[in-house]
Amino acid sequence: MIDSSFDRRDFLKVMGWGGAAVALSGCGNTSIEDGKETVVSYVEAADYVIPGVSVYYNSTCAQCDAGCNINGRVREGRVLKLEGNAASGINRGKMCGLGQAGVQHHYNPDRVREPLLRNGDRGEAIAWDKAYALIAEKLNGVSGDEVAFLSGGVSGHLKVLLGNYLESLGSKNHFVYEAVSPAVVRAANKKAYGNEMPRFSINKAKVVLSFGADFLGSWVSPVHFSQQYAQFRKGVNGQRGVLVQVESKMTLTGANADRWLVVRPGTEGVLALGIINALGASGVALSGDAAAASQGYDKARVTSETGVSAEHLDKLVALLKERTPSLVLAGSAAEGYAHGSQNAAAINLLNQVLGNVGKTIEAPAVLPFPQMAPAKGSSLALKSLNEGLAAGKYKVLFTYGANPVFTAPGSMKFKDSMGKAAFKVAFAHYLDETALQADLVLPLDSALEDWGTQVPEYLADGAQINIQQPLMEKLHPETRGMGDVLLALIKQRQADAYKGFEDYYSYLRSALLQNKGALGGGGSDDDTFWDATLTSGIIKLAGAAGTLSASSAAGLKLPEAAAADAQFPMHLIPSVTANLRDGRHANQPWLQESPDPLTTIVWDSWVEIHPKKAAQMGIVEGDIVEVASKTGTIKAQAYLFPGIHPDAVSIPLGRGHEAMGRYAKGFGVNPFQILDAVYDQETGELAMHETRVKISKVGQRVIVVKDEGVIGGKQDGRRIALSKTTDQVKLSEEI
Amino acid sequence: MHRILRLSFFLMGLLVAAGSHAADAQKPTLTTEDSLGPQVTQPIEFPHYRHAGLRNPNDPTNSDPNKGGMEIDCQYCHTYARRSAVAGIPPLQKCIGCHQNIESVRQKPRIVELFKYWDAKKAVPWKKVHDLPDFVRFNHERHIKRFIEQQNRPTQEACGYCHGDVKEMTVARRSKPLTMGWCASCHQKEHPVTGEGGAPIGNQAYWYKFQKPAADKSGGEIKAQGPNDCWHCHK
Ligand code: SF4
Repeated sequence: MIDSSFDRRDFLKVMGWGGAAVALSGCGNTSIEDGKETVVSYVEAADYVIPGVSVYYNSTCAQCDAGCNINGRVREGRVLKLEGNAASGINRGKMCGLGQAGVQHHYNPDRVREPLLRNGDRGEAIAWDKAYALIAEKLNGVSGDEVAFLSGGVSGHLKVLLGNYLESLGSKNHFVYEAVSPAVVRAANKKAYGNEMPRFSINKAKVVLSFGADFLGSWVSPVHFSQQYAQFRKGVNGQRGVLVQVESKMTLTGANADRWLVVRPGTEGVLALGIINALGASGVALSGDAAAASQGYDKARVTSETGVSAEHLDKLVALLKERTPSLVLAGSAAEGYAHGSQNAAAINLLNQVLGNVGKTIEAPAVLPFPQMAPAKGSSLALKSLNEGLAAGKYKVLFTYGANPVFTAPGSMKFKDSMGKAAFKVAFAHYLDETALQADLVLPLDSALEDWGTQVPEYLADGAQINIQQPLMEKLHPETRGMGDVLLALIKQRQADAYKGFEDYYSYLRSALLQNKGALGGGGSDDDTFWDATLTSGIIKLAGAAGTLSASSAAGLKLPEAAAADAQFPMHLIPSVTANLRDGRHANQPWLQESPDPLTTIVWDSWVEIHPKKAAQMGIVEGDIVEVASKTGTIKAQAYLFPGIHPDAVSIPLGRGHEAMGRYAKGFGVNPFQILDAVYDQETGELAMHETRVKISKVGQRVIVVKDEGVIGGKQDGRRIALSKTTDQVKLSEEI
Repeated sequence: MHRILRLSFFLMGLLVAAGSHAADAQKPTLTTEDSLGPQVTQPIEFPHYRHAGLRNPNDPTNSDPNKGGMEIDCQYCHTYARRSAVAGIPPLQKCIGCHQNIESVRQKPRIVELFKYWDAKKAVPWKKVHDLPDFVRFNHERHIKRFIEQQNRPTQEACGYCHGDVKEMTVARRSKPLTMGWCASCHQKEHPVTGEGGAPIGNQAYWYKFQKPAADKSGGEIKAQGPNDCWHCHK
């Protein structure tokens, strides 16, 4: 109704004199809901329940595998806010934005609320006992080899119970799949240090050289590392730590670095060997392996292959030599190639040359209960599942905690393979892409309604078991906890062995009480121990210290640089952002709404392209570009970004859902769809960064919705937020 | 300017529309005068007068419901008010706690209705009678501390400042305006703040401008204003 030529200021001016009169009609009755709204009182209330006064429960964040301990504020029986648990050695009272959004997982309006059975292309609500009976019926006459269970990373008692269930079915086919996982680095670490995930002490290092490890945003245990990073920045003995980030596309960590070095995609290992070579030349003693591996990686070669200037290389080598201990990290950008294992090995070798092993790379604690240790996800698992499915090997498929139809590389055609299983059961919170392909969808309790135990892969502060407990009553009566569902299923097979457990809670309780002594509760009675455990939300274990073993890097050899591909000249870097990760939480609107830290874009995908490259191709911001690989094509808005190698484009992962509810569906594009089937040669993991693409303009242009810059940041000369260019700022550390 | 004119016409239109109402709308009152809220029909017609009303001296056994009350302290049922910013509504358990032992009224229609809710373990869907806009944070606990605990005023008097003479009501009905001007009319007053021995009572935030008045050496009454910074309520 208001003509658009009125702006807010005009409106306010007029309100100045007109408003007084208008306001008159508003006075008198401010009691806006008198007699209309219902006040629901409790029927029975515990003493500590007082309306308006919050109570707090400790639990565990389930938004990623880092296993931060959390503390939830509950008022009037509703969970309102999550914070970190201050007693946690992992996150010390802090949380990341992704974790904060956990309440939106719980309150999400698109949760599945009752068991759904496929009828054509519709899901029909059925009762739980019918669903269970149906599963029993479908498993009847199917051998264990014909059953496959796909899950995300699982740990704790759920993992034990799941293992027992599969055993009762006679199946060994548990596929643990994480689309974004440091699987190659794990293997390289195992070789170099005798341990898949040693402890990285950023706070003890004086220099951190990170090859694409986004440890402040999305890598392994970001909240823990952020706190270490803060200490590192304050400095050890008054010497402020220096962070150098080497990568082809700037991550959040790269943006925080003192020096950000862009390398040609895939040449991280070359740079690492070049540094080793230069260190050797400058007098650092090299082992025979290191000398052999770095032989020939002289400055000229390294400079020309990686694109890092000789000057920067010299400075970096001098810095590493001068300040010890340092810490070198191999992240997802280094491992994402067909030679990812070699890249990671070269980077780990650098740690050995610098003498960091045992100083900033330490042995992790050993969990006294190995059966509860996390089953770590990898993409290799999905590959073998996919092959089995495609070959018609599996008749019954269960999926839990993973969404492979969305995250599998397009070249894998997972959806088609999945269709070959005769009966597919999805344990799901939402109707995501995978659940939509299932024949039976079983609705799960949210992480804030369910019981559980969790053991993080990265044990930041000694061995510990995290407790997950309900922060409030279930929102939807027909959802069930995953543990309860597994217990019901296993009772179908082994009723006698499990008849003592009424539900997963009693299973969990008795399992923990049985080991009370080993869990540090010796001497206290059951109830006292149990209450103390639930109150603290963490069981800290006196685990033995692990060991690191020295190893040789014999035979480490990087492949020759791949020849340029004339048809697909650009590298595609599918980037992992701190908020969206692999996209499993894309339906939490806070995550969609909070601006990407580097580009400030919201609710949409973008193609990052270097301004020089864009100028060559006549691309400006907002141009819709088509990104085509051998596997597929996607279209998204271009965003000009100097923090990327000119031969690469980057599209963030996590968006582009075709299902999963109102906040996820239809926002952005899904780069998983166009990933080629290239695998790391040693581990068989998907090489996420190996896809080559070509880009072209399609001739449309949109306004990029973002906070930054000319459109979003329009200040009309009002000097609201002032900025300086970097060359006007005196850099704190020149390296 | 042209644009401003156009906008003015638009606003004038709004004014005319609101005008008939605006003309007889009252100015905000600065007294504690009564202003009855709407009559609200409740699922059970709860007799406040019977529970909180004064005893009938001529009826020592309190057997005639029409003639006297039981002088139950408001806080006996409304226990949350002294412990929280919001008063809440007593849990159903509270009603049943007494009524399961009062056989004499067990078959009265309202009590039968009450037990129906209890047996079904369902909350009674009471309707809200007193409500403030969401940008106002009224704190029951502080008012009870101030008036009942520190100054020893009778509960019914203190609660009645805002809720009116509840002991005369059946189901409660809003009887004060609960507008900002009305709140301020109290907070502006010179309140006696003297405790025993002439020492001022109350915590810092109760004093205007955070200055606790000095004790009156002569032992006379000290007066101060209620808190009246914006943020006390709008936070
Ligand atoms: S890092 Fe992971 S576990 Fe920790 S708060 Fe963030 S999402 Fe939760």
